[in-house]
Amino acid sequence: MSRRAAGYFVAAVVVAALPWLITTPYWRGILVLCAMNVMLALSLNLVLGYTGQLNLGQSAFFGIGAYVSTVLVKTYAWNFWLAAIAAVGAAGLLGLALAAFAVRLRGHYLAIASLGFAVITYQVLVNWEKVTEGVRGIYGIRPPVSGTVNLFYVVAGIALLVYLLIDNLVRSPIGDTLRAIREDEVSAASLGIHGALWKAFAFGLGAAIAGLAGCFYPGFVGTLVPDAFNIVESFTMMAMVIVGGMGTLAGPVIGAVVLTFLPELLRGFGELRLMVYGLALTLVVLFMPGGIVQVFIALKRKFTSAR
Amino acid sequence: MIAAKNLNKSFGGVRAVQNVTLEVPEGSIFALIGPNGAGKSTLLNLLSGIYQPDSGDLVLNGETLIGMPAHRRVRLGIARTFQKIRLFKQLSLLENVRAGFHIHQDEPFWQCVLGGTRGRFDEEALALLDFVGLAAHAQERAGALPYGQQRMLEIARALATRPKLFMLDEPAAGLNASEVEFLLNRLIKAKARGITLLLVEHNMDLVMNVAQRVFVMDHGEALFEGSPRDVQANPRVIEAYLGGEIAA
Repeated sequence: MSRRAAGYFVAAVVVAALPWLITTPYWRGILVLCAMNVMLALSLNLVLGYTGQLNLGQSAFFGIGAYVSTVLVKTYAWNFWLAAIAAVGAAGLLGLALAAFAVRLRGHYLAIASLGFAVITYQVLVNWEKVTEGVRGIYGIRPPVSGTVNLFYVVAGIALLVYLLIDNLVRSPIGDTLRAIREDEVSAASLGIHGALWKAFAFGLGAAIAGLAGCFYPGFVGTLVPDAFNIVESFTMMAMVIVGGMGTLAGPVIGAVVLTFLPELLRGFGELRLMVYGLALTLVVLFMPGGIVQVFIALKRKFTSAR
Repeated sequence: MIAAKNLNKSFGGVRAVQNVTLEVPEGSIFALIGPNGAGKSTLLNLLSGIYQPDSGDLVLNGETLIGMPAHRRVRLGIARTFQKIRLFKQLSLLENVRAGFHIHQDEPFWQCVLGGTRGRFDEEALALLDFVGLAAHAQERAGALPYGQQRMLEIARALATRPKLFMLDEPAAGLNASEVEFLLNRLIKAKARGITLLLVEHNMDLVMNVAQRVFVMDHGEALFEGSPRDVQANPRVIEAYLGGEIAA
């Protein structure tokens, strides 16, 4: 078995074992949330980490996935999985639509434009009451599988699959193309790379994956309100990618796990919880600019060179 | 190969390229020289598509290039390097060269996500790194290379596009004597492979050694065109280069 296959085997075993190690319903719920966050961090990492596009609109695609799938199931009585496919498609297409404008922009300008997109999407969710029920929310949403453990297996399984596909993608010639755009667009163009096209590709694929994560959120919570897709969510995803280590494969996964569990573990701090959380984020970014994954890479290098 | 007719490009009030007409013969090494600010780099940017001309015509093997963006010209066989080196600094040498194979990547998307295309261009990329003498450093970060080797890496990366016309903007700038000699040797090898070369160069030794034809620019205009020997003997060229110093 190759080292890579062994890695995936270990990951699958860990996923399978987690619900046995964590047995309280509350913490099992956090596990589901964590698997969802892993998918979101992976989706943003494709755009931010690999292609170098400062996209703050990712919460919108998460929300579009959630609303499209839920409305199709609740109002039109679609099968969940069909609805999920439609939701992923819708999020992907809207990602491409945003990209049509966004690819002309870069850096801070792109950040503002994509943030604007997230604000607009949020407002649509609030005000298009005929379809979304607005702030009243949609209630009584059932998950695609019953039981938290089963839901965790489904979401974590899909997250693992998404990871595998992204792993392949970034090691393929397309991965070289995306990194080239991140490093220097003029140079990339001098090699025949159509920057706008491939940035749109990354935006669309990232949006589709965020939409996929969104399909599982409403069934997990049971209700759906626009506030779950507030722009703050975009910043949380960005924090996961940066704290974990952007532009690496494992980084966003580590970031998502840490930032999902850290706030929960800090509940003992009571009112100081968010302050400690913020401080922890600041310290990581200050002392580990490459993210937490940097520490693992450094350790690995140390061991291999010591040999 | 490539032919420009009455090309013009201004920036604000500065007429960087004025009425330049030139034709690069296929299979040759064609040098573009001239004092600083003569408009050589601007002309190269017009040919490669970084800029579009204000007026004039530009044709590659009968196909017009006017209005065509840089990335599409690469598919027609135009590659280039930059005067100020533009590598993907955070990437490895191998990744830099692999990115150059972009237009030759014809595997469908699903092959890429299923992992069927891993290492697709590794072998060819390594061969190109070997061609410029950098194969031993394939896994190192491009930004960590010494200056001269960065230039060679940029050449390898551009060659990965498999160009027909390869334009190099001052490839010898900042190189020491032995590096210039190696560069010269590689350029002749590239020409032997059937690549037409256009050099923008300050290094006269290099130009006189490798170029079949030399095009001299001054103040954005064509000044003279001829063989290296003719250029060296031409009084107007000598004046453009040395006039100020002789007067002083």
